[in-house]
Amino acid sequence: MNGAAAALGLFVGQKATDADALVPELAVADAEPAADAAALTALADWCARFSPAVALDPPDGLFLDISGVAHLWGGEAAMARDLIMRLGRNGIPARAAVAGGPGAAWALARFAQAGAILASGGEAARLAPLPAAALRLAPAEAAQIARLGLSTIGALGVLPRDQITRRFGPGVVLRLDQALGEAREALTYRRPPNPWFTRLAFAEPISAPEDMARVTADITARLCARLESEGQGGRRFELCFHRLDGVTQSLVIGLALPGRETGAIVRLFAPKLDTVDPGFGIEVVTLAVEGVQPLGARQERLDEDRDVMPEEGVAPLVDRLTNRLGEAAVWRAEAFPSHDPERAVARKPPLSPMIGSPALGSPVLGEGWDPERPRPLRLLRRPEPIEAMALVPDDPPASFRWRGVLHRVRRAEGPERLAEEWWRRPFEDAEPGRARDYYRVEDEAGGRFWLFRDGLYQAGAGPKWWLHGLFG
Amino acid sequence: MTYAELHTTTNYSFLRGASHPGELVLTAKALGMGAIGITDRNTLAGVVRAWSKGWALGMRVLTGCRLDFADETPSLLCYPTDREAWGRLTRLLTVGQRRSKKGECCLTRADLEAHGAGQLILVVPPLRTDVHFLARLERLADDFHGRVWLAAARPYGPRDLVRLAALDDLATRTGAPMIAVNDVLYHGPERRPLQDILTCIREKCSIDQAGLRLEANAERHLKTPAEMARLFPRWPAAVARTMEVAERITFDLSQLKYEYPDEPVPPGKTAIAHLTDLAWSGAAWRYPGEIPEKVRKLLDSELALIEELDFPNYFLTVHDIVAWAKAEGILCQGRGSAANSVVCFCLGITAVDPTKPDHDVLFARFISRERNEPPDIDVDFEHERRELVMQYVYGRYGRDRAAICATVIHYRPRSAIRDVGKALGLTEDVTAALAGTIWGSWGDSPADDHIRQSGLDPDSPEIRRATALAGEILNFPRHLSQHVGGFVLTKRRLDETVPIGNGAMKDRTFIEWDKDDIDDLGLMKVDVLALGMLTAIKWAMDALGIADMADIPEEDPAVYDMLSHADSVGVFQVESRAQMSMLPRLKPKKFYDLVIEVAIVRPGPIQGDMVHPYLRRRDGIEPVDFPKPSPEHGPEDELRLVLGKTLGVPLFQEQAMRLAIDAAKFTAEEANGLRRSMATFRNLGDIRDHEAKFVGGMAGRGYDPAFAQRCFDQIKGFGSYGFPESHAVSFAMLVYVSAWIKHHHPDVFLAAMLNSQPMGFYQPAQLVRDAREHGVEVRAADVMLSAWDCTLETGTVRLGLRQIVGLSEDEADRLIEARTAGARTLPQLAASLASPRRSLELLAEADALRSLGMDRRAGLWAVKGLAPEAKAQVDAPLLALMGPPAEGRVQLPAMPLPAHVVEDYRTTSLSLKAHPVTFFRPLLSEMGAVTAAGLKTMKDGVRLCVGGLVLVRQRPGTAKGVVFITLEDETGSANAVVWKAAFAANRRAVMGSRFLVVHGRLQRAGEVIHVVAERFTDLTGRLAEMRLEAPAPPDARPAPSTRLVRSRDFH
Repeated sequence: MNGAAAALGLFVGQKATDADALVPELAVADAEPAADAAALTALADWCARFSPAVALDPPDGLFLDISGVAHLWGGEAAMARDLIMRLGRNGIPARAAVAGGPGAAWALARFAQAGAILASGGEAARLAPLPAAALRLAPAEAAQIARLGLSTIGALGVLPRDQITRRFGPGVVLRLDQALGEAREALTYRRPPNPWFTRLAFAEPISAPEDMARVTADITARLCARLESEGQGGRRFELCFHRLDGVTQSLVIGLALPGRETGAIVRLFAPKLDTVDPGFGIEVVTLAVEGVQPLGARQERLDEDRDVMPEEGVAPLVDRLTNRLGEAAVWRAEAFPSHDPERAVARKPPLSPMIGSPALGSPVLGEGWDPERPRPLRLLRRPEPIEAMALVPDDPPASFRWRGVLHRVRRAEGPERLAEEWWRRPFEDAEPGRARDYYRVEDEAGGRFWLFRDGLYQAGAGPKWWLHGLFG
Repeated sequence: MTYAELHTTTNYSFLRGASHPGELVLTAKALGMGAIGITDRNTLAGVVRAWSKGWALGMRVLTGCRLDFADETPSLLCYPTDREAWGRLTRLLTVGQRRSKKGECCLTRADLEAHGAGQLILVVPPLRTDVHFLARLERLADDFHGRVWLAAARPYGPRDLVRLAALDDLATRTGAPMIAVNDVLYHGPERRPLQDILTCIREKCSIDQAGLRLEANAERHLKTPAEMARLFPRWPAAVARTMEVAERITFDLSQLKYEYPDEPVPPGKTAIAHLTDLAWSGAAWRYPGEIPEKVRKLLDSELALIEELDFPNYFLTVHDIVAWAKAEGILCQGRGSAANSVVCFCLGITAVDPTKPDHDVLFARFISRERNEPPDIDVDFEHERRELVMQYVYGRYGRDRAAICATVIHYRPRSAIRDVGKALGLTEDVTAALAGTIWGSWGDSPADDHIRQSGLDPDSPEIRRATALAGEILNFPRHLSQHVGGFVLTKRRLDETVPIGNGAMKDRTFIEWDKDDIDDLGLMKVDVLALGMLTAIKWAMDALGIADMADIPEEDPAVYDMLSHADSVGVFQVESRAQMSMLPRLKPKKFYDLVIEVAIVRPGPIQGDMVHPYLRRRDGIEPVDFPKPSPEHGPEDELRLVLGKTLGVPLFQEQAMRLAIDAAKFTAEEANGLRRSMATFRNLGDIRDHEAKFVGGMAGRGYDPAFAQRCFDQIKGFGSYGFPESHAVSFAMLVYVSAWIKHHHPDVFLAAMLNSQPMGFYQPAQLVRDAREHGVEVRAADVMLSAWDCTLETGTVRLGLRQIVGLSEDEADRLIEARTAGARTLPQLAASLASPRRSLELLAEADALRSLGMDRRAGLWAVKGLAPEAKAQVDAPLLALMGPPAEGRVQLPAMPLPAHVVEDYRTTSLSLKAHPVTFFRPLLSEMGAVTAAGLKTMKDGVRLCVGGLVLVRQRPGTAKGVVFITLEDETGSANAVVWKAAFAANRRAVMGSRFLVVHGRLQRAGEVIHVVAERFTDLTGRLAEMRLEAPAPPDARPAPSTRLVRSRDFH
């Protein structure tokens, strides 16, 4: 909730719809605690530019230990101003305070005017008028203390410590002492993790294609060696060429399964190297890996034919096809639970796990292909109109003409009536009873076809017939 | 060609069937079917509705059930052939339901064998028929030889004909002949989308994810016999067999002849003789001295009719329950049409003397030869002790013969839009907003402007689809719940008449049929209801030493005078804002005026625009005349007879029904159907037919069509809130009694009301304020002085410990026991408590330690100081003996009065110290605000402003977007009216504020004063200032929001 909403009398804990009814122009978004935490973590890492020692104070605070670094900004006040200004420029409203310990800084940042600076020793006097809530107490404790009239830190501070402890446990006194600088507090600082990243710099800029191929192999080998030593593999490799003039060009390759085999990765980069324009020369190359996950060391057999899973056998081919044709061009057909034949097929990544694979016995209803529901091996992208004749409602056509060729129907099965998915149509056009009657027919030549009649049979209006697929 | 559909699923197979039972029967009739069988899944909940519709249409309805088993047994359709087989089926379902949790039914093959005699069995083949199925089918065909069929459907699947041939083959091999069904899910193909939606709700998925769980087409509807014959071209016998099965079923629900229990009849005496004796001795008790001639005559004629219709056992059963309750000192009163019976009055079932002037007892309204319906007596008992009465009924008749009716929980606008929206894949916020737009409007889909108001586009296809489907699903049954107190009692085992299932609560069981089903079948029902006001009246009567409500002096002018001034806070029924503004206009002078007062402020008369004509006629502004039919159509005074008592304006349900019969020429049966379809919304389509017939009927006989339409609108209003005269009479009795107590013994009244909370319209704070205005001294709840209940201390009321939010009665009892045993200090009291820390903190925070010399802060500090010992007392009693260490005294900051008041409200929901608005009076005076009391001296039309806490916000459906706000300040309460335009412009202040100043114009009509709001100042934020210890420090942030009273908002 922001200040504007609070000013309108909305409060945390109010039902969103109630608040919405009160303030129709209210903007509401779902709480995303995970995303908030991630954002706070990212902010902490960003703050490393101010101090290496950054600690998280979820949900919305950060502690920076600026001992010995403030002079770089020209003093504590200037440093705090710089920090707030930079955050503000990024659209992050923030308050900052500088004090001798985290407790006092926390209290001042939240309950005093912005930019408070407090030298060690002045805590008792400066904090006395602040509310007890500034002590980082649990909400229940804070409410109880307020109810006793101990609304300020000063009022609480004059009471005998042992009587407070007796009533509220040691937590309140500890918080009080921490705020007043009488108890030390250890923070858990966050250090950014070591990224999967490596860098090669050249004394002389390079530009020859064979040099570029060589450095590509070198840098890949270097990172792959590290992946190997840590038992990891990566799925996405980004190779960046940094030119003298500051332009960066990058090449990306992806793997279907995590990998770290230098040769394979270099082979995938090789055809793309032509696209890099070295300009006046390249001074630095970097390689970064994403999608890093554990990959067991593989024991290679002594004999030649390796016992690999089928996916692993196909994986290099899939990688080569994908990197050549583009990611969208290589896919696997998967059954999708829908009565609508056009929608019953879904495109899945080529090596995604299969559901209802026939090897595992008959599929559960709604998963995989149902043998009781015969579907053509080849479904035409668009049904093609045919000329057909049928005598009686529900009867299959005796013959039909498709692409100029007449087919006499020898055997037929059906109709299977499939109604349209009414919810996919605009509300006005939806006719829930609208259906196609599908027939499996076999002609005299043994060809099998999937035909349908559009709409139910009605006397008078000649029904339209279509061919939608071919069996075997 | 004839055909009977034997496999139908109604919407009583919750979230499967997409048609009401009645729709299916109606369609079957229209399609020319020979019969229709109802087979819901493991339930008979929908059969009565189908059967009674069939009875009305002359369509044969077969009552059966689809049994789904927990073991390998295939699903099958079970049709009992005779009454005994029906009893076995209901017992089978009872067995299955009783061993499962609520709403489920777990059956096994063994259960079927135990209850299978006399059942016809249609086996439903699974999707894939395999050797196991063959074996099971063979076994069934052997065990139930000659009574087993194989039900085959033609769903337009991929391989229908192949499958039918295979099934026919199976049938031939097992000797279970193939029979044609269409496995119907809805009456017509247009219901397919709704059925898909139901599937999604059942499967908890959205329609995009539902995939193959949906039906592939719209074929599962009722089809004509000719179409069925066409679908089974090679198997005409399978179609013909459906009628053979129907012929073999001789059972019909009408055979559930009702037998009343005969427990209350002493051996060697006939029921009527016993009833006659009881009635006459009751008459002697009611009319000491001599029994009036009128009463004698009525008793004779009523008893004769009761004997003729064979209802004496019913009266004896009700009397038995009431007599037991009275012996236990439980206050009760019959309501409803029983108030028309002198027998009921003499038996002590009802409290209103029906022979009083203005009451023309119409016993015929209660029971009549023509209607041939069993009587229906509803009895209200004290809310808190009703459970005892129910236990008595169970004990007296046994759980196999007494059970509670079901209540069918239907889809309401909110739940409908929520579930449908979810199924269509709308996001939570959109469905919530749509659901929020429905301000209690009934039966319609939400109005477009409401949708627009909530920020959605009513023209968007998704919203249109959602609202359209929600409109269809509206009134679909969602699940069965337990009726609040409707008992069905039988002479033979009840589970041989209707299945009995488990309730949500442990040890609660209820039958599958609701009260309308019971009515349709003519079973006996006694309503054991609970009424909070009876608890309060009982408490007051005990305190005053009054034995019976009839002992309270009648027709006390002082009581009517009080009510005429709308001084009715806490009085039964007439305490709402609407009733309060009616009282000074109606100025009740006698009991019958209260009957009218109770009935007139209701949606029925208001929607029918009957209120103002009545008031004008009563005040003599408008002549009392009676619309007449054209002379050739009937006597011109036909309406005078019906409407004479109410000055020509129909106010009561009975009058509306008489209008239908006398003026619109409904038959008694049609009128009954009209009443039913109004009361329960069970046949929505019928309402329009009734309307046309009613208005047309009256207009055709020469009445003004506008008058006819008004009458019908009123009947429609009765629908959900029907208020018959006899009901109003019973309620008026409680109005009078509670008003009498309030007038003569305001202290007793206050204590009784507080001890019966929660009930009524007002919160404790308002009841206390009202009592103090009437000179009652009220003292605060105190740890050493209060009982659990509020008590009377020589003319003053001491609040009870029950006022303290969160304190349990159990802990209070321990406290009082310790106190009586001599505990005088906090540690002594703490030693007696189960959770001393929590309970004593609650007491301290409620400022209830004053008699121990501590205010709430000192008390809380002291209680908290006990904490380690209190904990030790539970964990290690030895440590506790050491006692708390001596401590230096601590001076806590004194609590300012406004903060005390805030804390009082938080902990006891009221404050005796001061009214919160007192602290803002300087601010309000500065704004020029008048006090609530001051409004009485202001002239009509004056512009002014008034401020106070928001007690009530109402936006009645009958008032076209008008919002009523009740404010309270330290002098009283004030009412504001917010017209639509002012509301739209000040939505936030009107809906959300807790402390509000209303600026507007004074409007007075007699004693009724309203401020017509023009603008508002929302002071809610200022309430937080009450919490402040001292002037705020300069850099402090605002205090958290403060909520003193939770306003009661009615939409």
